[in-house]
Amino acid sequence: MQKFTEFADELRFVFVESDRWKWLIEGLGNTLKITAVSLIIGIVIGIVIASIRSSFDKNQETMKKRGGVGYNLLSALNSISKVYLWVIRGTPVVVQLLILYFIILQSVSNGVAVAMVCFGLNSGAYVAEIFRSGIMSVDEGQFEAGRSLGFNYLQTMRHIIIPQAFKTVLPTLCNEFIVLIKETSIAGYVGIMDLTKAGDLIRGRTFKAFLPLIAVALIYLALVTVLTWATGKLERRLRRNER
Amino acid sequence: MSANIIEVQGLKKHYNDGTVKALNGIDCTIRRGEVVVIIGPSGCGKSTFLRSLNLLELPTEGSITFEGQVITNPKTDINRHRQKMGMVFQQFNLFNNLNIIDNITLAPIKLLKMSKEDAEKKAMELLERIGLADKAQVYPQQLSGGQKQRVAIVRALAMEPDVMLFDEPTSALDPEMVGEVLEVMRDLARGGMTMVVVTHEMGFAREVGTRVIFMNEGQICEEGRPDDIFDYPQSDRLKDFLSKII
Amino acid sequence: MKKKILSIVSLVLIAVVAVSVFAACGNNNADTTKKLTMATNAAFPPYEYKDGDDFAGIDVEIAGKLAEKLGMELEIIDTEFGSIVGGVETGKYDMGMAGMTVTEERLKSVNFSTSYAKGVQSVIVLENSEYKSYEDFYTGYDADGDPTGVIEGLKIGVQQDTTGDIYSSDVPKKWGFGEESVIRYKTGADAVSALVAGKVTAVIIDNEPAKSYVAANEGLKILDTTYVEEDYAICVAKENTELLENINKALAELTADGTIPAIIEKYIPSK
Repeated sequence: MQKFTEFADELRFVFVESDRWKWLIEGLGNTLKITAVSLIIGIVIGIVIASIRSSFDKNQETMKKRGGVGYNLLSALNSISKVYLWVIRGTPVVVQLLILYFIILQSVSNGVAVAMVCFGLNSGAYVAEIFRSGIMSVDEGQFEAGRSLGFNYLQTMRHIIIPQAFKTVLPTLCNEFIVLIKETSIAGYVGIMDLTKAGDLIRGRTFKAFLPLIAVALIYLALVTVLTWATGKLERRLRRNER
Repeated sequence: MSANIIEVQGLKKHYNDGTVKALNGIDCTIRRGEVVVIIGPSGCGKSTFLRSLNLLELPTEGSITFEGQVITNPKTDINRHRQKMGMVFQQFNLFNNLNIIDNITLAPIKLLKMSKEDAEKKAMELLERIGLADKAQVYPQQLSGGQKQRVAIVRALAMEPDVMLFDEPTSALDPEMVGEVLEVMRDLARGGMTMVVVTHEMGFAREVGTRVIFMNEGQICEEGRPDDIFDYPQSDRLKDFLSKII
Repeated sequence: MKKKILSIVSLVLIAVVAVSVFAACGNNNADTTKKLTMATNAAFPPYEYKDGDDFAGIDVEIAGKLAEKLGMELEIIDTEFGSIVGGVETGKYDMGMAGMTVTEERLKSVNFSTSYAKGVQSVIVLENSEYKSYEDFYTGYDADGDPTGVIEGLKIGVQQDTTGDIYSSDVPKKWGFGEESVIRYKTGADAVSALVAGKVTAVIIDNEPAKSYVAANEGLKILDTTYVEEDYAICVAKENTELLENINKALAELTADGTIPAIIEKYIPSK
């Protein structure tokens, strides 16, 4: 009983006093905002880069023969994409965040926006490779069948290849999003109040480590659980379509 | 309208910088209403030749003219011409992400801008014709090989092509399903469809074909009416080939 | 018979455990081999910083003399500033010494020694800044002479959990700038980088590191008006009163014999 009141007292001290729980809410809000927007940026970049890379692989022969601007443009885009993947996957995201915040996006005073761009760019590289592997895993015959009906490359991709690739990559994609949610926890490096930073701040102010850290861990766990559940459901629905 | 639907001149296809010569100079004309059957030993280039006709294989040299348009010219919009050249594959290649009716209506709706109702009505008619109307809502994985190939044929037909290309349509089928697919093709030929068929089914070639082309080592070795080809082969290679398969 | 042997064995075991526990707890026991663990955040020149592989700075040198006086061996542990008080409270470290000022909140968790040095919170702004004093950040004052609000878009950069952070985060009524105006960075260097990059209006940080930052970065200046003046002290766990007494005694002696003033003079020359 005494232990319980002690625990309740500590709970009150850590979260209720000075309205410290509000930090957690604000942090959670920022974590969600950053994750959601960078997710969208990441998917868009991923689709673009994966399209460029797999278009180049698939159309190289045809376009080279035809020559002209199209081939040179695609070839250049392909090279740029490769450099992008090389740099993004070759450096830690926290370093990228610091470089973006302090150097490249110096004039942007909204830290949350910088974080969105940073995690979006970062996630985009991984999503691109996930999509590309998905596209490559779809049988070549599906592609040829689309082309033989008169669909151009992009239409074939859109109506036939991408829907199939998406289903294949969904579990990997889900995994990438889980990684992304947790990766945003470094946003505190550039002064952004995210969930981790909120816990950190409570820890710094109350000098209690246990409760703030456990609370933050539980919130992340809940977020990831919801995401896993949702993608699992989507996966089952997509699969049901085929059987 | 010209009587010639496809004209092929000096067609060559080389791989690996010319070390492998899959097609080595082919000249060939296909007229409207013809059912041209291409036979030959494996590796003779017959599939490559067929796939070159709609540029799924890009020729190294030579020209292909389809309905008066030189489609090997890089400036030609090949996608527009492919709409008029239906193709059926050995591995069926039905779209796994779409059910049967959507497999058939996708191209008419997206490419011919047909309304969904019209496209579906037409698709159902086609499915009736091959006796698979009850399968409209199922996915390809639930069909047998023979059923898949019949659907693949009507998927191509839904675009109302001027010519149908068949790339070994029965080779991947269990023997008891070959008949149902050939039956659909026979119907098609009877209806006057121009067809180019790569196949090992000599019975079909003799019965339905209006002309048989025998290919060997990337070239046309011998061609003629089915009865002449099968009953009076001229070249030793054709004689040798026929003796092995019959 | 068996029972008797068992109970004797367990008694002996309990005794051994009890003795070792007492020995472990007895930090105040000034054995020559005893360790004095000091938690600090070695990113706060000139009080504590890394000099190659070694620690250096005012706190580090004073702690060395302190350990000498207490006849203990000094062990320095570099950790995050925000983790020091918690670690000392739970007994992970014997003491915390990191240019730390005494605040009400910290006093809830730990005790503090007498002050051994004075800390000043200064305001760094860009050289061409229009602000002359931190008072310019306030929009007006109430009847008691306390601020009522801050200028729009004010962003104060601080190092998280430092005195500058705690005071700045308070409401204007209490001479802070409000939660929403404060951006907390992991290090003082990050806060200063943010100022150089134009992300914050001003940085509030201890005067000594402030001087180093202004010297190292072009286009920065320290405002003449200081924000807060504070006394630095050593924190010790509440139940460890004997160590606290010993530290206070030693600090008094070290101040009296001129050791501490000399150390401070060495790092912060008065001229």
